[in-house]
Amino acid sequence: MIREEKIQIPFNFAAGTSGSRFLTALRDSQVILGAKCNVCTHVTVPLKSFCPSCCSDDLAEMELPAKGRLISWTDCPGRGAFALIQLGDKGPILLHRLIIPPSVMLSELNPGMPVTAHFSDSPKGHISDLQGFVISEK
Amino acid sequence: MSERSVVIAGTGQVCPVAEDNRSIAEMVLEAVESALSDAGIDHNDIDSVVTASVDIIDGLTASNIAVTEVVGAVMKPETRIAADGLCAAIHAACQIWSGAYDTVLVVAHAKTSMAPFQDLMQWAMDPIYLQPLGVDFLTCAGLQAQLIAAGDPGAERRWAEIAARRINAVSDNLSLTEDDILSSPILASPLRRDMCAPMGDSACAVVLRADTDNKDGRPRISGIGHDLEPHGLGDRDLRSWSGLKRASNRAYTMAGIDDPATAFEVVEPSCLYPHEEQLFLAAAGLDEKANLSLSGGLFSGHAPIVAGLSRLATASKAIEGIDGKALAHGTWGPAGQGQAVIILEGAGA
Repeated sequence: MIREEKIQIPFNFAAGTSGSRFLTALRDSQVILGAKCNVCTHVTVPLKSFCPSCCSDDLAEMELPAKGRLISWTDCPGRGAFALIQLGDKGPILLHRLIIPPSVMLSELNPGMPVTAHFSDSPKGHISDLQGFVISEK
Repeated sequence: MSERSVVIAGTGQVCPVAEDNRSIAEMVLEAVESALSDAGIDHNDIDSVVTASVDIIDGLTASNIAVTEVVGAVMKPETRIAADGLCAAIHAACQIWSGAYDTVLVVAHAKTSMAPFQDLMQWAMDPIYLQPLGVDFLTCAGLQAQLIAAGDPGAERRWAEIAARRINAVSDNLSLTEDDILSSPILASPLRRDMCAPMGDSACAVVLRADTDNKDGRPRISGIGHDLEPHGLGDRDLRSWSGLKRASNRAYTMAGIDDPATAFEVVEPSCLYPHEEQLFLAAAGLDEKANLSLSGGLFSGHAPIVAGLSRLATASKAIEGIDGKALAHGTWGPAGQGQAVIILEGAGA
């Protein structure tokens, strides 16, 4: 015998101080915030209160460019595509959605291809205010 | 290393199946009874229990409450590890080395058929930045595989050959080819359905026991190591499993292994995809000649959490009675974030 159930519970996740600052900048200014660790020089995005590499809390906030290059990607049929995007020269790497225009074939993707951030027209302080990164058309 | 040896006194596995109609407790019961029988002991001989389970897979918080009675943990010290079962075995070995307990039962379970697994794994991702995007473990594996495949035009065919070999090793009735694997549908490019170890329901139990003279000739644990990388994929170099490199180096140092490439009779990694075998070999200092997953590894069915402990049980049985070493590996989290290694040493005939 099986008891069928669907687990649905309202939940409020705290973005935290840095997370709220990141989401606010995204919503109000279409700016992507990251950070560079003043101790180990690791760069990270989104903005964090601590370094994910060395645990230091001594980080310098960075405004990152809305353009980047493709590091890796995966196409999940029925769910869309995802990518790792390096923001700026030697900048941090962000995992987000990849938007592939109809004119570009998946087999044509290559590491290093330029991509541009695509922002929502109705931002609400959510990671989807950045809708994804668009492959530059041929 | 401590003079107090820890031996694998008994093992019991419920072979993974796509859907086991029993309850979790009933599956665990079979594994525990089998391990106790193999060790020639009963629950009265167990001093402490370490379980491995993950709440979100069970749809139950404090998922060890589902198995408290059946692992014999009532009125005994029980610790629950929310990571791969190999970490539970490491924790249990440390309990014995410390002198706290002599005999410890390690149990892991997962019944993945209860819910869409990758949907559940979205809940294991960062809730602010990744969950809302729909990122799951398969997505992360696809991103890692693509990164490795870039600039290596032969990678996909080589991975298909590995997947075919593992699947064929599981069943005498199968003889899949690379082309069969490459014609299966894409799940998360470049990963195709048949490149992914199939999900399963399973349970595994292992009895660890202090032994000063190892009169039973059971394999002993000679090295342990575990390690974590950052959660964010952008915060680590996905071209290698650096966490496994650190974990295995700790285990090799403890076991006195200088040349891992020639050290092992049996190697049982927890690899869900062929590209992970490539990452595993490089990080663990092994090469293509290693006796890897000879019975198909996790391609016989992947029950997360159980996987690493089942690799330990399989490796232990493989070197029981022979004078050889074995390596068991477990991993958990997205794209191999968590890594664990146990080195076993056979006692000879």
